[in-house]
Amino acid sequence: MAVSVEALPTHESEEVVAARQRRRVIGFGVFAALAVVAVVLAHEVPEWMDSGIQDWAQDRYKWSIVNRQSAPMFEYFFNPISDFLDWSVRQVESLLLWLRWPGVVALTAAVGWRTGGARAAFAGGVAMFGVGVISDWDLAMRTLSIMTVAVVIALVLGVPLGIVTARSDRAERIVRVLLDTAQVMPIFVYFSPVQILFGIKFPPAVVVTVIYALPPAVRLTNLGLRQVPVVMNEVGESFGATSMQQLFKVQLPLARRTILLGLNQVIMMAFGVVVLASLLGTGDLGQVVLSALQKQQVGLAFAAGLGIVLMAVALDRVSTGERLGGTSWLARALPTVPKKTASVMAIVLPALAILAGRVFDASGFPDGLRWDISSPVDDAVGWVQDNLRTGVPLIGGTQAINDFLINHALDPVRDLLQGAPWLLVVVAFAFLGWLSKGWRLAATMAVCLLLIATMGYDNKTLIWDHAMDTLSQVLVAIVISIAIALPLGMWAGRSDRVERVLRPFLDIAQVLPQFVYLLPVVFLFSIGRAAGVVACVIYAIPPCIRLTSLGMREVPYAPREAAISFGATGRQEMRNVQLPLARKAILLGINQTMMMVLATVIIAALIGAGGLGLLAYRAAAKPQTDLGLGTAGGLSIVLLAIMLDRLTQAWGAGGETDRGA
Amino acid sequence: MTFIRRKRHLAVAAVLLATGVAACGDDEDSSGGSSGEAVTLAVNPWTGSAVNAYVAKAIIEAELDTAVEIIDIDENATWVGLDDGSIDAVLEVWPSGHAQDYETYITGKGTVVDLGLLGPAAKIGWYVPKFIVDAHPELATWEGFQNPELAKLFATAESGDLGQFTMGDPSYVTYDEQIIENLGLPLDYVVAGSEAALLTAIDQSVADQKPILMQFWKPHWKQLEVELVEVTLPEITPECEAALASQDGSYACDYPVDNLYKAANAGLEEKNADVFALLSKLTLTTEQQSEIAGYVDRDGMTAEAAAKKWVEENPDVWQAWLA
Repeated sequence: MAVSVEALPTHESEEVVAARQRRRVIGFGVFAALAVVAVVLAHEVPEWMDSGIQDWAQDRYKWSIVNRQSAPMFEYFFNPISDFLDWSVRQVESLLLWLRWPGVVALTAAVGWRTGGARAAFAGGVAMFGVGVISDWDLAMRTLSIMTVAVVIALVLGVPLGIVTARSDRAERIVRVLLDTAQVMPIFVYFSPVQILFGIKFPPAVVVTVIYALPPAVRLTNLGLRQVPVVMNEVGESFGATSMQQLFKVQLPLARRTILLGLNQVIMMAFGVVVLASLLGTGDLGQVVLSALQKQQVGLAFAAGLGIVLMAVALDRVSTGERLGGTSWLARALPTVPKKTASVMAIVLPALAILAGRVFDASGFPDGLRWDISSPVDDAVGWVQDNLRTGVPLIGGTQAINDFLINHALDPVRDLLQGAPWLLVVVAFAFLGWLSKGWRLAATMAVCLLLIATMGYDNKTLIWDHAMDTLSQVLVAIVISIAIALPLGMWAGRSDRVERVLRPFLDIAQVLPQFVYLLPVVFLFSIGRAAGVVACVIYAIPPCIRLTSLGMREVPYAPREAAISFGATGRQEMRNVQLPLARKAILLGINQTMMMVLATVIIAALIGAGGLGLLAYRAAAKPQTDLGLGTAGGLSIVLLAIMLDRLTQAWGAGGETDRGA
Repeated sequence: MTFIRRKRHLAVAAVLLATGVAACGDDEDSSGGSSGEAVTLAVNPWTGSAVNAYVAKAIIEAELDTAVEIIDIDENATWVGLDDGSIDAVLEVWPSGHAQDYETYITGKGTVVDLGLLGPAAKIGWYVPKFIVDAHPELATWEGFQNPELAKLFATAESGDLGQFTMGDPSYVTYDEQIIENLGLPLDYVVAGSEAALLTAIDQSVADQKPILMQFWKPHWKQLEVELVEVTLPEITPECEAALASQDGSYACDYPVDNLYKAANAGLEEKNADVFALLSKLTLTTEQQSEIAGYVDRDGMTAEAAAKKWVEENPDVWQAWLA
């Protein structure tokens, strides 16, 4: 077990220890000196640091508005792409509508059958059927068409890019920065530019979806190819395979599982932007969510949101084909059919379904099969709103939590970050980077913060101050998320029953459009940063619970058993054996939590959280005056994300530091 | 072996797909038959906007034999669509929020044309729930908010000792920060971020009888449901008009009235002159628009059904637009 070896203390000579100590003292000294300089030098970001990036972005935008009918780059590049995307979505939509609902459900199940056997077929088919039961079928098919085109494009672009990055470290570094930026950049900042470049309705909706769905395709293809054992490559080589043969006959097949995992993530990311993309005029299920919320019809929004969730689940189950069929109760319950018969059935049954759908003209979904969940949901939300706000024993209610969060968590942290001399904040984070990994990370932290200082002003307020406001919200949200998710994840990691109970809630919380629960959160907590933090926490805890639980479960049984045989109690065994061994997975969970918080802190601007998120939203709300401002806000979020990501990744990477280097 | 078999299935799937695509071609062509070229009208996310568009749709489809597509879309995206012709017209623009767009697309590029006033006048202003004015009548005018004790009634955890002023969606025009500063009011300006969040804050205020001061406007369906009172702000002075023009941040008056107008793509007249003429003449009074909006917001009809009902009942009104 490599893990257990790592845990053993290694013996070092006295000189090495002494040298390390010396370097440590030097490091502390350098940072102490820098801190003094920072305090003396300047209290606020000086005006000359404004890079003028806002005007630059605003001018580019203005130019595109004026020239979008005449400039060659539109005529020969953007307009043809736009036409092609529009055509593709319309073709897929009319195909889906032509198939009628029985055809779509049956085809989904058939694909599931091929990829994952009975279980995937059943899960996919039921989920797709559920879409019709819960939400509007025709609108759902429109969403599905946009998603299908976006997912296909993300794969067509992403897999080759992943192959390139797997073969060249330099390409990987460049692409990674670009993808990180694209993915963390708030969607609101893209909004107006994609309209100018691609027009309205389907084409820009596909484009923004691809922007978010592409990164996992690239990343996991890259990862999968890099994980192919060297031996396998050598075997291929020794048989005289060319580079291309190696790729297609050896590497890609071996990386298949990881790439499929990428497909799952591509689908999830794509469905994550459905609701916002509908602002572009797509007129689909996402639009239903938005217009319902505009009228405060939370139940209706929830029903449409659940339709989106079910579609994502259906696509996910059949595309990744959970190959668990052999062990499930379902597979045992179903009569075993010879493989050949099964394959024939997978073609004949959908064909029959399509035929039946066409013959009986099953356009639309039959009203008799529909289930209106909006009123029970409204009732439940009403009950929660009436009963949780005040008068809850012990904690008082959500209003009390709201005031507590603002007065005792958000305000102190924000005042600390905004009130401190700005360079001191830079030095402090650099110091944190140095402690976590070494000089290199220290430099990354400092550069990110210095770049935020060049973003300029929002009227008279420094973007820096907005960034510190957002950073305070992010930090508070991360601490709360971890405090909730870690214990739950550990519990789920040790108890199958808890895991089973939690799983559906985690699924829904992760895919359900965040908008659906924003309004109840506002009603419970009031407009402002506390409500924003709560929204972030709801969205951020699922991955942390999941990865913690997974980490606990993957700890090999032998060391745990050994501890118990030495007389450790269950609690001791967990604290001293299982938790330390699950450390990597748990830290990855924390890293994911942080990225989720950063993604939601933008949405939180829609319920009064302000800060960088609001700046980013203003890029979409008033593009003609505020696009530059929003771009600066969006870039600041990207920089914060890079900082926090590298920092938590350093914790996950373990003891290897370059502090001495 | 399995590999070959998989390939065969792919081929079958491809054939299925191909027949599907081919077949749906027949399905789609049935929508033709109109005399004029089809037009697209934009609907922005509020009832008034939907009502106007569906009234126009009902008349155009019945009388001008032209298909109308309705597109539900964000306000800013609407202008991009008007610019490139993927949207032919929008029937309710609030001038206060779109001065820049007017300048860029109508007077600048000339790709969008002004179709004249819709009729109703809208008004943005400062609003409070009626119960707080009942308790403190001074709060019906801005002077009441000069009193820190009264302003503090509107305090929240976010605003501390000051009263909180809540602004909704940042895409709407706002002079509130300037008004607060220039009138020297003890208020803290908070952006709720969206109209939906603002509406929820109103519900919360009513449920707790905890007052809220906010930017709101008329017409709005929420005004039917909750009793709100507009706070009187200083009348518009020449100085304020100058401040609006120069954008120097010295604005300290009430919001100007919004005279809603219609706009179309510059190519619409050539594309379908009948529709262009009709939309130019289409006007609704405030009463007519609120009557139809009432069917939707009060009686729960769809905007399309409400518009049809009104069009059937009031032929004399819209016959004049066709003349």
